[in-house]
Amino acid sequence: MKAFRYTIVFGAFALLALFLLYPLSLVLDASLRVNGTGAVTFANYARIFASKYYVHSVGNSLLAAALASVGATLIATPLAFCLARIEMPGKAVLLTLATLPLVLPSFVAAYALVLLFGHAGVVTTAFRAIGIPMGPIYGLTGITIVFLLTLYPYVLLPALAGFKAIDISIEEAARNLGGSRVHAFRTVLLPVAMPAVLAGALLVFIEALENFGVPVVLAEDRPFLAVDIFKLFAGEADNNPAAAGALSVLLIAGAALVLLVQRRYLAKRRFATNARAAPPPVPLPRRWRVLAASYSWGIVLLSLLPFIAVLFISFLHFRGPVLTWQLGLSNYFSLLEGSYRPLYNTLFLATVTAILATVVGAPIGYLVTRHRDPLSAGLDVIGMIPFAVSGTVLAIGFIIAFNSGVLVLTGGWLILVIAYTVRKLPFCIRSSSAIVHQIEPSLEEASINLGVSPLRTFVTLTVPLMASGLIGGMILVWITAASELSSTIVLYTSRWQTMTVRMYHFLEGGEGAGSASAAAAILILFTAAPLLLIQRRVRRQDAAIL
Amino acid sequence: MTTIRLDNVSRSFGAVRAVDHVSATIEEGRLFTLLGPSGCGKTTLLRMIAGFCDVEAGSIWFGERRIDALPAHHRNTGMVFQNYAIFPNLTVAGNVAYGLRARKVDPADIRARVEKALERVRLPGYGSRWPHELSGGQLQRVAIARVLVIEPAVLLFDEPLSNLDAQLRTQMRVEIRQLQQSLGLTTIYVTHDQEEALAISDRIAILRSGKIEQVGSPQEIYQRPNTAFVAEFLGGANLLPGTIGTFDGEKTEVASCGTTILVDRKPGSAGQEVFVSIRPEALRLANGSDGPVLRAKLVMREFLGQIQRLHAALPDGTQIRVSTLGGAHLPATTGADLALAYDPAQIIVYPRS
Repeated sequence: MKAFRYTIVFGAFALLALFLLYPLSLVLDASLRVNGTGAVTFANYARIFASKYYVHSVGNSLLAAALASVGATLIATPLAFCLARIEMPGKAVLLTLATLPLVLPSFVAAYALVLLFGHAGVVTTAFRAIGIPMGPIYGLTGITIVFLLTLYPYVLLPALAGFKAIDISIEEAARNLGGSRVHAFRTVLLPVAMPAVLAGALLVFIEALENFGVPVVLAEDRPFLAVDIFKLFAGEADNNPAAAGALSVLLIAGAALVLLVQRRYLAKRRFATNARAAPPPVPLPRRWRVLAASYSWGIVLLSLLPFIAVLFISFLHFRGPVLTWQLGLSNYFSLLEGSYRPLYNTLFLATVTAILATVVGAPIGYLVTRHRDPLSAGLDVIGMIPFAVSGTVLAIGFIIAFNSGVLVLTGGWLILVIAYTVRKLPFCIRSSSAIVHQIEPSLEEASINLGVSPLRTFVTLTVPLMASGLIGGMILVWITAASELSSTIVLYTSRWQTMTVRMYHFLEGGEGAGSASAAAAILILFTAAPLLLIQRRVRRQDAAIL
Repeated sequence: MTTIRLDNVSRSFGAVRAVDHVSATIEEGRLFTLLGPSGCGKTTLLRMIAGFCDVEAGSIWFGERRIDALPAHHRNTGMVFQNYAIFPNLTVAGNVAYGLRARKVDPADIRARVEKALERVRLPGYGSRWPHELSGGQLQRVAIARVLVIEPAVLLFDEPLSNLDAQLRTQMRVEIRQLQQSLGLTTIYVTHDQEEALAISDRIAILRSGKIEQVGSPQEIYQRPNTAFVAEFLGGANLLPGTIGTFDGEKTEVASCGTTILVDRKPGSAGQEVFVSIRPEALRLANGSDGPVLRAKLVMREFLGQIQRLHAALPDGTQIRVSTLGGAHLPATTGADLALAYDPAQIIVYPRS
């Protein structure tokens, strides 16, 4: 068992050192040097804080992230309580639909907002035609709205679990001591669920801060951190890798700080409430139940509306950038006319990533759960780092690290798969660790006691027991890899374009709105279909990452 | 000081009658125990009194006030839960103050009353601790302090000791009883543990399938069980099937398990099918003196310290339990012949339906 353990630990450390810590250290290094020369300097940072544009960029990103986390908390906490404690029709379906935005590509939602409310949007033009002027959706407003609609499940799922974990006797004790239901909610239920809610809110903050796809679609020329890093690194006009590095370091530092608070402080504040069974529904008069059901269904449908709109619009004919009301498949024809390659590439890269990430992540997850020692604790911490690193920044590190020297990876498919795998690793570790938590250690001990070696026990007993959960996790990795934009956009070559890259180009060019909508529709299908097929299994896994 | 009156209280869950036309009066200041096997309706009945379970039919009265339609938070009952239900987000003091704050008591008053309640349960100075820092027994005391401090009309205990280890359980039940007696609070106590019920109660109600089987003081119920169920549930009496035989004017012979058992007077007509109830401690090893004797063979011996329990087989193979003192000298070998003496006056016969 020891040899097996050390192989996993050191293998994992080596992989993470080479493909995570090394590229990131090069980004840090680049930020501390004068462009082109070798001299160490803080000038890059000084220049950022002297520049009004970049200060705005940092400020806008922080503001959007803060607004999104506050908004998501305000929307999702009542929703969680409704779903946990109030009887309403179609609750199971509602719960599945509510988890969809977690995996649907957020830049598709941003694009839907442009299609509906943009300069030439369906709604904008319709309103203009009847004489009502519409304000612009671009910038902070639109970006915050999309973040809210796509990230609220990060608060919903832990809050829901939090409310469900409160034993009914806690609430009964409050009422027995003279508190009304409302009083009990305010003084006991909400405070007990609060750490879970806040932990979710901080995840929203991190995700919003790092997100590239939404601002790239909706920022137009307004400064946003994730977009500016990409432009500074890959842009033709204002290429400046050192400044990109400095901004990246700021982004990572911000996200890492929040992640640290989330893990160190909130994780420990969670209250053990030992619910023996989920608390029963609150008896409410009909009209309150109707109100709760309308609120819940309203929020969930609203969050899916952009995706539904894109699906619908993808079947309408575009004349140039202008939408007509003729139904047809013309968008799909023009999208696939060039080549089927991006479609194949997406399927291939997502599949290889799903397998690789599971093979690497599952043993790590097993180890950090079963063996609490300093080594596996260290592995647990390092395995969480990718969570604080945006896809663009990691990809920039990859370019600097693997463009020359001993290990050259740029230009091929492998670099994309490795980048995706590193990005999805925290999820794989968390979800396999959650599965291992559910397997009684005494099962393994019984097997060893009956004379089967620890290694054989792991292979013949533990792995099969984990299998069904691992497959669920694998499908989630597949989904998120298929819709990955932020790292792809830095690392792809013309041979290895994906659907997301195609869509990005259509949007960037301003032409081909029709093809973009078809690409977006295909991405929605890629992500939603597998999730709906395996919904029960996956819902447990969603919770794992939180 | 409140008298509790249950008047024909009923409640069903689906097809199951959880509480079936229960009537009882609990005199003020008494500790009244609801005792029965799991699923007998005792917890449902308690929750109906607390207001967490709707009353389908019948009424519940605290003194002259009917309370079964009041919301739970207006009933002024103090309930101690099986899992204590300590609020994890509040300190010990916060937990104890909870009911006072809900009643909008003056904050200056609250502090003094909380400290006094903590002293009463022997946790002085524990106010600033967090629940997760306390042991099970301490959490139990906090739960009790929390209900005492609101000066409730009645105290309700829902299997409060079932999560504690054996030693702490006996200690806590003495403390609960002493507190209850010194405060003179009317109390309803739910348990499935017969020893606990016998030790703590003024009166016990034995419940079976939602109905009260018998109500009485611990001694009454133990010594004069009304039904075979009560006899077996309380004290683990041996219930032997038998048939009534001849009556000699003083004693009746009952044929049972391949032998004959003598009982006082005439419990029924000849040929009637009955259960003979013999308590394990009503049997003792015969020492040659007069009196009727049962012949049996030793099957197993359990040494329990203060007592030894013997398992013995009657002539037809039916096994019975016999309690003797731990110090008694016994044949050690399995299969040894035993002569078990008994007093016919201690044997009760129930009709077998």
